[in-house]
Amino acid sequence: MVLKIEGLVKNYGDVKALDGLDLEVKQGQVYGFLGPNGAGKSTTILSTLGLIYPQHGRIELVGLEVFRDGKYSEDSLVEVKRKVGYMPEHATLWDFLTPMQTLDIIGEAFGIPGRERRKRAEELLKLLNLWEVRDKKVGKFSKGMRQRLLLAQSLVNDPELLILDEPMTGLDPSGIAEFKDIIKDLNREGKTVFFSSHILAHVEEICDTVGIIVKGRLIAEDRLETIKREFLRKAGYIIILETNKPISFEGTGWKATPLGEKKYRIAAPDDIREELHDFVASQGAKILTMQVKEPSLEEIFLKIVE
Amino acid sequence: MIWGFRLEFKQNLRTKKFWVIIGLMGILYIPSFYLMKSFLLQSGEKITNEAAMNMLISSITGMTSFFVAILALLIGATAINSEIEKGTLRIAMSKPIKRLHYIAGKFLAHSLVLLIALLFSTVVSILGVLYIGGSLTGRLVGDVLLLNMLLLLAMIQLVALGYLISTFIKSATTALGFALAVMFIVFMIVPSMVGFLAIKDTINSQNTSMEELQQIQKYYTTKYLFYDPISQIKVITQDVSTNVQNPLKAGYRGIAYAIKHNMVNFAHILWLTVLYLAVGFYRFLRMDLR
Ligand SMILES: Nc1ncnc2c1ncn2[C@@H]1O[C@H](COP(=O)(O)OP(=O)(O)O)[C@@H](O)[C@H]1O
Ligand SMILES: [Mg+2]
Repeated sequence: MVLKIEGLVKNYGDVKALDGLDLEVKQGQVYGFLGPNGAGKSTTILSTLGLIYPQHGRIELVGLEVFRDGKYSEDSLVEVKRKVGYMPEHATLWDFLTPMQTLDIIGEAFGIPGRERRKRAEELLKLLNLWEVRDKKVGKFSKGMRQRLLLAQSLVNDPELLILDEPMTGLDPSGIAEFKDIIKDLNREGKTVFFSSHILAHVEEICDTVGIIVKGRLIAEDRLETIKREFLRKAGYIIILETNKPISFEGTGWKATPLGEKKYRIAAPDDIREELHDFVASQGAKILTMQVKEPSLEEIFLKIVE
Repeated sequence: MIWGFRLEFKQNLRTKKFWVIIGLMGILYIPSFYLMKSFLLQSGEKITNEAAMNMLISSITGMTSFFVAILALLIGATAINSEIEKGTLRIAMSKPIKRLHYIAGKFLAHSLVLLIALLFSTVVSILGVLYIGGSLTGRLVGDVLLLNMLLLLAMIQLVALGYLISTFIKSATTALGFALAVMFIVFMIVPSMVGFLAIKDTINSQNTSMEELQQIQKYYTTKYLFYDPISQIKVITQDVSTNVQNPLKAGYRGIAYAIKHNMVNFAHILWLTVLYLAVGFYRFLRMDLR
């Protein structure tokens, strides 16, 4: 177990941000921590690193207990942070430094010797496409560049566990794709990745496990496909169908709404794609396209909360 | 501790506010020394180092402490909250650095920044004394240095107060406004009210001499203005010269003498620093860094 959280409670004054959160991240996973805004994702992440003080619970990180009964063990925290990389949400780096200097000073915090620091900085800046701007002041960087530098600084110590808070928020689609590729590569190298997002598309394709947090509690934790299937089972399937000629759905019991002359939106209690094939063929028509409409994260949240 | 120190020190020397304040100080020193020189030429007196020191204390010390006090409060009051706002603190504290080491390093860096500002003031003051006709002696350098180190302690107290403010007020801009208001009310209005009270009480008493007023002022400042390090410095430096009103004719006792004879005031500067820091650091250790 790389990260284990038990019964974590955090109140900010009267605001209950975490309400007995339990969570486990296993070695080698890419874990997507999903939840709507204000669900408590950042609060959870900040707690694991000792950056805020929860009231109750237990936190174990890379094999060491860092928090218990409302207290952190500072020595364990320092120990653990050597093996963890963290990328904060909405953070700026030191505007007056260049990427090279930034990574250098971070390397210093880990006590990495000078020559090695420079080598590591070069590797990371090249990996994250910042090599060209290595000597430009960070103050003038775009959002995408800042985000990449934030990731770079979390990798300086070659961490076992990467904790990323909304790393893809604010990036354009190509930026997101690039980010996912990097995360996949890092995971292939053996790093465990735990990252948060409020957007379903961010966790698709890269996460083996997804945890869903709503109002400070983990309400589902499984493979993304399982969570989606579960959702579809409860909420019913929406299938978008396109045929080569108009067809009639009378007497089928399926709720079909025409979206065009030969395009339909069909609501059914379960997966009826097989049946649809036969049904369309029986009317002498052919299916041009057929897809199950993906539920949005909001729909999943709502359904699960129900 | 070294890490937080280096980071903060670099940052301070690279920001504009430090250089602006140093620049302003330099610019204001020039006319004061110029005025002193023309005053001396007019009076036709030959200048001694002692007389020059007396003049320095009565004219320059107040000015320096005003500028450096602003610098001190500015860097103190935004020390922690601005870093939380920007998020750099979360990055720093996600590295294997203890909170206490980080904040102590940061505070040391801020103290060093003030030390540099006051060393600059030391050098300019010595050059100024030479310019108005003094001669370069070990005693002169030693005393100017000692005076500036006394100012340094006072300014460090203000940084410590700033740190305390920055752990209470989450928004850096609000904290800055608050610190300036504190500066204005607590360190300017209240002292002049106390000064006024001293004058009133002197006039009401039977013997209204200058010495009497000085004694009452000292008594009131020690008692009612113990939290204002600049007022404490004024009390201490009053004893440097035998006659504050006329620095040219006055005898000169030296800074060390003045400190030795005003240990209570000197202690006020120190113990409040320790108190502010203890509370400020304690709060920082227990704080949510978001
Ligand atoms: N400093 C704070 N003071 C008061 N409430 C806060 C503070 N920070 C966060 N909260 C509240 O805690 C809850 C969880 O916030 P957060 O962990 O940031 O959620 P997420 O990262 O999932 O968007 C929200 O309701 C938020 O308003
Ligand atoms: Mg968040």
